[in-house]
Amino acid sequence: MISVQSLRKRYGEKVVVEDVNLDFPAGKLTSLIGPNGAGKTTLLMMMGRLLARSSGEVRLEGEDIAVLRPADFARRIATLRQSPDFNLRLTVDELVAYGRFPYSRGFLTAEDHAAIEQALAFVEIDHLRRAYIDELSGGQRQMAFLAMTIAQQTDCLLLDEPLNNLDMKHAVGIMRALRRLCDEQGRTVILVVHDINFAANYSDHIVAMKGGRVFRAAPVAQVVTSACLRELYGLDFEVSARPDGYFCNYFKPMGICK
Amino acid sequence: MTRSLRTLAVWAVLGALAAAFLLAGAALDFDYVIPRRLTRLAAIVIGGICIAWSSIAFQTITENRILTPAIMGYEAIYLLLQALLVFALGAGGPMLLGANGNFLLSVAVLLAYSLAIHAWLFRGGRNNVYFLLLAGLVMTIAISALTEVIQYSISPGEFALLQGYSLASFNRAEPAQLAIAAAILTLVSVPVIRSLRTFDVVSLGRDQAISLGVDYQRFVRLHLGLIALLVAISTSLIGPTAFMGIFVANGAYVLARDHRHRSILSMGCVIAIALFLCAQLLVEHVFNYRTTVGILINLSCGLFFLALLVRRSERA
Repeated sequence: MISVQSLRKRYGEKVVVEDVNLDFPAGKLTSLIGPNGAGKTTLLMMMGRLLARSSGEVRLEGEDIAVLRPADFARRIATLRQSPDFNLRLTVDELVAYGRFPYSRGFLTAEDHAAIEQALAFVEIDHLRRAYIDELSGGQRQMAFLAMTIAQQTDCLLLDEPLNNLDMKHAVGIMRALRRLCDEQGRTVILVVHDINFAANYSDHIVAMKGGRVFRAAPVAQVVTSACLRELYGLDFEVSARPDGYFCNYFKPMGICK
Repeated sequence: MTRSLRTLAVWAVLGALAAAFLLAGAALDFDYVIPRRLTRLAAIVIGGICIAWSSIAFQTITENRILTPAIMGYEAIYLLLQALLVFALGAGGPMLLGANGNFLLSVAVLLAYSLAIHAWLFRGGRNNVYFLLLAGLVMTIAISALTEVIQYSISPGEFALLQGYSLASFNRAEPAQLAIAAAILTLVSVPVIRSLRTFDVVSLGRDQAISLGVDYQRFVRLHLGLIALLVAISTSLIGPTAFMGIFVANGAYVLARDHRHRSILSMGCVIAIALFLCAQLLVEHVFNYRTTVGILINLSCGLFFLALLVRRSERA
């Protein structure tokens, strides 16, 4: 579906992403994890065409994304950055309606309205549709932005730290919605996430990055091991794989690794 | 108050102001007074639309609500051009070309400056608001210093003439210039109106706009060019207006109570025109020409700008 070949990003002498080669499985949820400054967000932004790459390629079904027209690209890949602080006076349904811009350039059709309704219902925020974005809580606002991205009806969604600053309930709500997007609608979801427990319990596939390179890219079971995580983060992990999910304990490490 | 009722009220106020401006103390003199005032009214309307459109579009593109295109050094370039004309050709310089010649020359020079600065600033896809601001500020200071050097080397009479160009006024526009300005404005309005909905998406921020399929680089280049054209028209027609764009744009955000540019732009035009009319009415009927429109507008908008900064820093 979406793949990356020898992708590199550098600012002057400083290399942020170096020689990244990846194949993201279609219809699956992939988490990008790794310490701060590992290049996760940079990689995601290059895949979403928000950042120019220094060299290498990003391919969507074998085609270089650089050759796609902006509107066509926006019907195949949707990117959501951390929700910006926003001083616009607009309601949730007006925001979600922007998700239809790649299709109707602002003139909504019946099909667009159906997609908007579906997206609002999918993340269960129908009751907020008339609320103003700047009056919502952080979690509700993130849900509204996610609904906009879902309304874009792309095969692939790229999300940059969608759980940032959310309480546990909203974080679970977002992750469950993303899981359902894969399972029920067959969409490919790729996200940057810092909470290893969310990554372990909700992903199919994990890409761990460190120092701008891919450290490990594999199904969850192969990445979420104490040895792998210890090496990735330089921190002691106690990983319990239970029948109902993973629990990674790093809150009280025995000692910082060398 | 509902949206449509408020819109109606705003337009009624504007209509009343325009009527007062045309008719106050004119004794219905249709031979001289009213035609002269109609010319000034046309300058006010064209200038107001240019200032509102250019400021609001500039603020949306730069994602910043305390900027105007004046920061890019357009007005400084205009004043430098006038100073050069006086210096090279004497007091009659700006007039020697004929009012139309000077107007067209100003528009052409401002446009050339804008193309040059954009080509330089956006080289290699660079698009950083702070860099833009810094470059604009430095250019403004450098150009103003150059203008001052010229001002020191001309006679007091020429200096007084030049001083007149540095303040906004509606008396210098002639019907022929107004016709040219109106024609350019009509041409500019076609792409602006066609992009109104794209402007709404761009106000969500650069990244979101790209993700929603806006050809961002093309959009920014096109509209910075159009902004330069609008600033060129308003500056050559009525002179520099500095802070006014900030006042107009922020007033429009508050009064339009709608994030869509369709509403914001039309409200901005109304505010700009109303502000000009108020200032001109005050100058003609209250101050009896002892002050100028430029001074009144810079004073009121400068105070508003300060209030805006204070309010923002309190909120932060």
